[in-house]
Amino acid sequence: MKYQVVIAGIGGQGAVFLVKVLSIAASLKDQKCLGTENHGMSQRGGSVSCYVKVGDFHSPAIDQGQADLLIALEGNEGLRNIQYLKKGEGTIIVNADSKFPEIAYETIKIDAFAKARKDEFPIQALNVYMLGITLARDPHFPFSLNDIEEAIQQMNAKMAPKNIEVLHQAIEDARDI
Amino acid sequence: MKNILMGNDAIALALIHANVDMMSGYPGTPSSEILGNFAKFRDKFGVEAYAEWATNEKVGFEVAYAGAIAGRTTCATMKQVGLNVASDALMSASYIGLKGAMLLIAADDPGFHSSQTEQDSRSFAKFAKIPVLDPATPQEAYNMVKLGIEISHKFETITMLRPVMRVCHAREICDVDEKLDFNPPKGEFKREITRWAAVPPAGRFKQGLEQFARIEAIKEYNWTELIEPKVKKLKGAKTLCLTSGTGTGYVIEALEEMKLEADVLKLDMPYPLPKEKIEALFGDYDKVIVFEEPYPCIEEQLSSPKLHGKLTNDVHKIDEFTKDKVLMAFSNVGLIDKNSFYKSEKYADELPVRPPNLCPGCPHRDVYYSVMKVFKKKKSIYPSDIGCYTLALNQGAIDTVLCMGASISMASGFSIADPSKTVVATLGDSTFMHSGVSPLINAVYQNHKFVLLILDNSTTAMTGRQKTPERINPGKIDIKKIVEGCGVECHEYEYTPEIDKTIDFMKFIKTKYEEATGPVVAVIREFCVLDKERAPEKLPQVFAEVNEEKCVACDICTTVYKCPPMHYNENDKIEIDPFLCIGCAACLDDVCPTDAFVKVVK
Repeated sequence: MKYQVVIAGIGGQGAVFLVKVLSIAASLKDQKCLGTENHGMSQRGGSVSCYVKVGDFHSPAIDQGQADLLIALEGNEGLRNIQYLKKGEGTIIVNADSKFPEIAYETIKIDAFAKARKDEFPIQALNVYMLGITLARDPHFPFSLNDIEEAIQQMNAKMAPKNIEVLHQAIEDARDI
Repeated sequence: MKNILMGNDAIALALIHANVDMMSGYPGTPSSEILGNFAKFRDKFGVEAYAEWATNEKVGFEVAYAGAIAGRTTCATMKQVGLNVASDALMSASYIGLKGAMLLIAADDPGFHSSQTEQDSRSFAKFAKIPVLDPATPQEAYNMVKLGIEISHKFETITMLRPVMRVCHAREICDVDEKLDFNPPKGEFKREITRWAAVPPAGRFKQGLEQFARIEAIKEYNWTELIEPKVKKLKGAKTLCLTSGTGTGYVIEALEEMKLEADVLKLDMPYPLPKEKIEALFGDYDKVIVFEEPYPCIEEQLSSPKLHGKLTNDVHKIDEFTKDKVLMAFSNVGLIDKNSFYKSEKYADELPVRPPNLCPGCPHRDVYYSVMKVFKKKKSIYPSDIGCYTLALNQGAIDTVLCMGASISMASGFSIADPSKTVVATLGDSTFMHSGVSPLINAVYQNHKFVLLILDNSTTAMTGRQKTPERINPGKIDIKKIVEGCGVECHEYEYTPEIDKTIDFMKFIKTKYEEATGPVVAVIREFCVLDKERAPEKLPQVFAEVNEEKCVACDICTTVYKCPPMHYNENDKIEIDPFLCIGCAACLDDVCPTDAFVKVVK
């Protein structure tokens, strides 16, 4: 199995957290995994992109046209990285409102900012929320809800119940997309 | 035992497993996590080891090197430009050698992700005549730390580990030692004046000859231990790819995915190379291509008409590897047609740029805003330095960035070269401690007239908030006392988010400058908004929003103040992103000429 994920967002949104969760999930399934985090220059507010490659890979970086999945924690950061998606096969899971343009990739769109503004989930858990949408809507995603729950538990047991709650809520919300 | 490790975790863990018990250095992306993680593993395993930051890389290097002279197993860690600072010590230490072992970690940054140069520390190792190991992944970094310590001890030489950003900040499931057998040799300095204090010419000449002999012996070791076992596994294709570090992964993946035939020989130790033995391998191949980043370190050590690389213009010369660049090299040497497999269209419309920026609520922003307000741009020169505050480039408040500490010496130079302008230099507290003190003494010594603002947030913020000297030893080390010790008065200002007060302080500094004959120095006591110990009490938690009726879209907030939450909405009015705003309230005063920023009333 080979599966390549690009995670794009803004510094402070927790893209690196998702790299860690997916790496743990891969190890739980006894899969090889290489990831890379762009720690960048700006602590908060700059563009961030991270890569996760599950399966037999040798280099942590992802080339253009190679990613199976792009998780975009913010719409423009998603668009900035669409060249990494596989043509005709790649899926983008994006936090964006109705103005997000039509693109030539399978697009799963949810306005997570609007939901957070209505206090439907805490904005600090945006990363986990978008992972929940991914679980619900990407049929090729190589991890099950169980894998991800266990990875989140291993990552930080104290925060896990809250994160898992958000994960479930996202899966529920994904029905309405 | 399997463990999910970031490259810098893998290196830190391997240092413990390699019996390193003395470590120093200076933080710098992408190397910064190594020392802190080493200290965490040390505490987790309950073993004893010295792991402390130094004021700069040269100091850290010398601390670790003395340890190795005294027989300890030591490590110095830094980023590639940090090695420039430590190079004075390194160049001599490589002649002298050591008794215990010392691993020098210099983390490179191909692609300039967070560095001012793309320099190759492998080439530096070649210049200094010390062996260098180049890992491709976190797992290899783990293995090579142990190998590096072994080589260092065996040949009595400093050994370099050169991980690049894509190793330091990669994450991999690594196989690491199950058991900890931590038993580092004790330190005991043995007097040997002719070795440790050799004077030129006779003493150093002898050591120079020894250095050549050592490098020859290491070349032989490189062949028998590291290269020869791999040569036996080569399949006999028509093309040979010589690779170093991360270049390997890109080449192997591109070959697999494009179904291309070639042998790959990864050189774990890219210097020193057994030139003749490697060149003898070329006979069976039509073409040999070298894939390494960022400089042609391997390529420069070899010669053959079959050899292709950066020097023959076949492999890219600048920026990070991609698989597309591997294919380009294959096409350049005539092995395949031009190929766009790894190319895809970017989003066609223009996207709003999101350059690295100061955090919302960062005190630096107010300071730079105030500097520009009081010391007008047309009549000033703003030399700055290396740190988070470099991001005030976005505000147009910085004219020059060179290297650590250069803001002060360049302020001296500008004050001489263009005396019609007021020079306002800025640098952070950690950078001041690193290499700001001697240029300040120079400025006082030579009566150079400029303004120096030391932005003291008591943390090395950009590299992950390592604690600075005055934070660790409060009351003992103090910037104000250091400045006074350099022979000049130090004005002090306690930052508050009430921006009017910061502007008033700049006006005060301006009056001081007008009557001065030498440097005018101020320390601004700030805080880092990400500093969990200090920031909460400093931030008033008063949030701002925009009164759209008052906003005239004049752009001042988005160009001169540049706080990330401020952006235009669909009505072409400024809006504040409530998820990014941290409630510093600084923008409520002065920033908006039409007073459109107002308090959020909940």
